[in-house]
Amino acid sequence: MDSKFKAIVVENSETIVEMWLKEVGTLKEVNRTATISDEVYKSTNREFVDVIFTSIQTQGSTKAVEAFSEKIINLGWPLSYITDGLQVFRRVTIDFILQQSDRVDTEYISNVLASVDRWVEPIIRILVNEYTGNWENIVSLQRVALQELSAPLIPVIDGITIMPLIGTIDTDRAKLIMESLLQGVITHNSEVVLIDITGVPVVDTMVAHHLIQAAEAVRLIGAKCILVGIRPEIAQTIVNLGIDLTNFPTKSSLKKGFMTALEITNRKVVDVKPDEDSIEKLIESLQGE
Amino acid sequence: MKPQSSCVTIQKEWDIVGARHVARDMAKTLGFGTVDQARIATAVSELARNIYLYANNDGQIYFDMINTIDGKGLSIIAVDSGPGISDIAEVMQDGFSTSGGLGAGLPGVKRLMDEFDIQSELGKGTKITAKKWVR
Amino acid sequence: MPIPILKLHNYLLISIQTEIDDITAIEFQEDLLDKIYKTGATGVVIDLTSVEIIDSFIAKVLGDVVAMSDLMGAKVVLTGIQPAVAMTLIDLGIHLQNIPTALDLEQGLIKLHQELGD
Repeated sequence: MDSKFKAIVVENSETIVEMWLKEVGTLKEVNRTATISDEVYKSTNREFVDVIFTSIQTQGSTKAVEAFSEKIINLGWPLSYITDGLQVFRRVTIDFILQQSDRVDTEYISNVLASVDRWVEPIIRILVNEYTGNWENIVSLQRVALQELSAPLIPVIDGITIMPLIGTIDTDRAKLIMESLLQGVITHNSEVVLIDITGVPVVDTMVAHHLIQAAEAVRLIGAKCILVGIRPEIAQTIVNLGIDLTNFPTKSSLKKGFMTALEITNRKVVDVKPDEDSIEKLIESLQGE
Repeated sequence: MKPQSSCVTIQKEWDIVGARHVARDMAKTLGFGTVDQARIATAVSELARNIYLYANNDGQIYFDMINTIDGKGLSIIAVDSGPGISDIAEVMQDGFSTSGGLGAGLPGVKRLMDEFDIQSELGKGTKITAKKWVR
Repeated sequence: MPIPILKLHNYLLISIQTEIDDITAIEFQEDLLDKIYKTGATGVVIDLTSVEIIDSFIAKVLGDVVAMSDLMGAKVVLTGIQPAVAMTLIDLGIHLQNIPTALDLEQGLIKLHQELGD
């Protein structure tokens, strides 16, 4: 039976292709592919239907399908384009085969349905797998990228390390931040860590809670933590929310925080070439008083 | 293949350490990070100590690896047939202690784990279920 | 097995290497106080680098030991607390406030030296 249907379809491929193209053409708007030029759309459709026929004729050869799906993915077309296209193909083909036959009973219909499904299924499977595989790949790459971005730790000078935080902090990220913060303190042998929250858009009770916990953990492993980059609006929210940061040294800018860190580690910044002129002037002006 | 589940009976003080070891080993096998391994082992230590201190050395800690559609994780069930807890809300408060400890035990366990459930009946015993999922 | 306590000038050095059970912890507390009394030590460093788990009981014993030593005139610094242990303590709600800490044994000794000024 199957081979008989296949023969019908292959013999009348032109007609089926025409019917299919007509139907798929109307789906352009639905699939949000409106930005694609009509020409590209038509030629891709043509290629799509060719791939379907190749697959049917070669008993589900995967090469052509894979190549085609890769192309569609690169074009960035939605998956629904492919699933809709195959649904239309199934509908059109079934209609066509049924029309060709003069004797139509239940058994015949179910045979037709089974055959057509057998042709279309492997194509759907490959295309959907290719698509989702591609997405999964992107998602995992982005996750890795995000983790790398998440909490960099910069040793600036012996004993002082800076951790700039950028973006929203949720519980998962806070845990990650704490882990890399503590690990970093150990690896860099830091006495003082500066956590810079200039790039954190919102500091609510939860974020503050995580920051306080991080600071306490840092203290437990034997280092000090200074919170820097507190913008006026963040200072306001912290006080308005009643968050107690008294045990937690804070500074408005990284610069001030760094100076404090130097003090804690018993160091200071000295100009290599003191500006003697200005000092003399200053002394003179003082004496003049 | 390591065992999927395990059980430690808490009778001696040294059993607390034994339970910690089992917890840590299973957490490691499941692929938990070092920090979560420490969290789980510490939570088990607290649960085991509660059995040792309050349940007349009569209790077990069951460990089960979870591998379902919801994810991978470790389930810890501490069962004892001790006196039971009269006021669960009270023991879940930070700083509450009848033994002169830090009072961090049960609320601490809740914070260390992802899921926490406690059932207790006076005179019959207590059952605490805690779960941690692999992130 | 008891935890060894080493004397160095007027400091006492302790490195906890084994998993601590409750009895060992209590015995250690007694041993240390005894040693402080006998040697008149002014500073103590307890190194916890090899300790993988500190639960609320051990934390309480450590906190007590610090307070008790303080009463006897010996300053205690805890060193080498592992990140995982620190995070677990924070989750437990144990902050060990007022207890001096340092990254490692060396930093701990420097800290004692600075605070005791000798």
